[in-house]
Amino acid sequence: MATATARLARPRMNLWRLEWLRLIRTPRALALGAVFVFFGLLEPVLTRYQSQIFQHVGNGVRISFPPATPAAGVSGYVGELSGTGLIVVVVVAAGAFTFDSRHGLATFLRTRITSFCQLLAPRFTVNAAAAAAGYLLGTLAAWFETDLLIGAPPAGAMLGAMLCGAVYLAYAVAVTALAATIVRGTLGTVGIALGALFLLPIAGVYRPISNWLPSALANAPVDLLNGTHHLSYYLPAFAVTAAAVAASLAIAVLRLRLREI
Amino acid sequence: MPNYLLAAVLANSGKLPSGLLFALVPLLVLVVALDVYCLIDLARAKSVRSAPKIVWAIVILFVSAPIGALIYLFAGRDRDGDTARHDADATRQQASAGRRDPLVSQEPPAARDCPPIVTTIGLTKDYGGAGLFDVDLRVPRGSVYGLVGPNGAGKTTLLSLLSATRRPDRGTISMDIGHNQVAVCPDVPEFDRWLTAAEVVDLARSLVAPGTDCQAVAAALGTAGLADSAGRRVGGFSRGMVQRLGLACALVGAPELLILDEPTSALDPAGRAEMLRLVAAMRGRRTVIFSSHILADVQRIADQVGILRDGRLLYQGATRDLIDTYLEPSWLVRIAGDPAPVAAAMTGRPWATKVEPAGADTIRVDATSVEAGERGIPAALAACGARQVSCEPRAADLESAFLALTGASS
Repeated sequence: MATATARLARPRMNLWRLEWLRLIRTPRALALGAVFVFFGLLEPVLTRYQSQIFQHVGNGVRISFPPATPAAGVSGYVGELSGTGLIVVVVVAAGAFTFDSRHGLATFLRTRITSFCQLLAPRFTVNAAAAAAGYLLGTLAAWFETDLLIGAPPAGAMLGAMLCGAVYLAYAVAVTALAATIVRGTLGTVGIALGALFLLPIAGVYRPISNWLPSALANAPVDLLNGTHHLSYYLPAFAVTAAAVAASLAIAVLRLRLREI
Repeated sequence: MPNYLLAAVLANSGKLPSGLLFALVPLLVLVVALDVYCLIDLARAKSVRSAPKIVWAIVILFVSAPIGALIYLFAGRDRDGDTARHDADATRQQASAGRRDPLVSQEPPAARDCPPIVTTIGLTKDYGGAGLFDVDLRVPRGSVYGLVGPNGAGKTTLLSLLSATRRPDRGTISMDIGHNQVAVCPDVPEFDRWLTAAEVVDLARSLVAPGTDCQAVAAALGTAGLADSAGRRVGGFSRGMVQRLGLACALVGAPELLILDEPTSALDPAGRAEMLRLVAAMRGRRTVIFSSHILADVQRIADQVGILRDGRLLYQGATRDLIDTYLEPSWLVRIAGDPAPVAAAMTGRPWATKVEPAGADTIRVDATSVEAGERGIPAALAACGARQVSCEPRAADLESAFLALTGASS
């Protein structure tokens, strides 16, 4: 008993610490960091040496590429916002939001909380922060490699790209939270969330609303680095994304309240 | 690609531009570090999921890095998976639990006539013909209320409605306590496997009783017989230990109402006896509603019983009254010596409805009521100077009452 008591003198548990432990005691934090940093380190190298690589693997066929630019070096990485990186973020977040898929766990949580905001707030915040941190680490890695191999990318555009990416990933986590209230299983949640996130850019082909959609933020880093647009161009997208995050979480809370287990 | 890069770097290290070599160092360090981490983790793991260790080692080493390592982390890593060896621990802890249970009162006050803590009126949950229909439940404060019935009778549905994890189609539920004074333990509790037992109970404490100190967590774990496993991760627990952990989570907030769904379903005989002792000891201090298929358990600890069948409450009231009402009480009395004179002496008694031999030294005595038999048999034995070896109730149990009640209603 004395040993147990001594062990329990550590910082107390709460729903915020639960999410932190979920990140660090499972492969989630490692996967988020590793994936983004890996691509952050890899993409500038591939961009800089793509001619040599293709020459090496192309059985003597020579392919000419335009000279690598700093923007191109970082652009390859930021493309992960709508690729592997996004998938990993959604999978990690889905694991936290699909508590209703396990009846015993759902009973434990639902019979003790006073509101579903109490349950969703830490899950959303910690997962969005972890996704943003992973993305920022990867961006810093890509920045370092690009600077080393190709040249320094514009610092202002890089910071703008980080902001856009972090906000877009927070949106992806909110969409995952909403998807988890439509189905109970993790696989179904991942499928619905990714479906919504991948299909939304299709609406962007309609020009008048293209810079209003959250998906515009996923493409913003490339345009910012190329100098196509300034950060202020994406202000409507920021506003819509913030509203979409709030709406997704609010609807998720309502749906969870109506759901029986 | 990284494997290719690594091979290319090693093969052409003398010919590659120095800038590329310098740029590749962090990437290669990351990939190699992840692979090394996974290999060390694999070597230290007591068990892994999905495939043998050697297969995971091959995946980590030969599937394109770092994909192989990531696959292992998500699909193979299982540092908690050594469940089987904990069964012995569970039995040991059951024994230790009996020595320390500060959350449980040892006083056995009667709560039979107390005002109800839970009342339902016309409670209905219709699943297209199955479910629960017009249930008027009345649970006295401080009682241990056993809910029995065959599979599909509606026990879990009723407990879910009382727990507010489902909503009734019709009817009302009145509880004379606040939301945070109700604790629920499902038949199969589940927790995040990477948390320790102490963390799980502490999380429950933080949600229902944030003002209490950490001693409450230690006390709840001790009561449930998990004091020695407080620092162990739940992923390595047996099902019985998880059920005990569910009870610890329920107790940590010192609830007034405890709802237990099949609390002994995963426990071995020793664990079951210990759980029943814990529940019985709560009588008078807390109200306990529990469901069970094991009627002997209900008879042993429940002072109130509700019998459900096909979603309807056939009976509720004192367990003793049910047994008295639905059974013709009968005893087997074993005598040292010839039982014939004793049988003859009892035959004329007004409370005895039937007295007959049931063996060389045994007679069967049927009485007009349980109370009449319990008073009359000892008095008759004393009056004729017989030496009694034993006197056992015959078929006077809840199971017989249950069968009589449900059979009569079919």
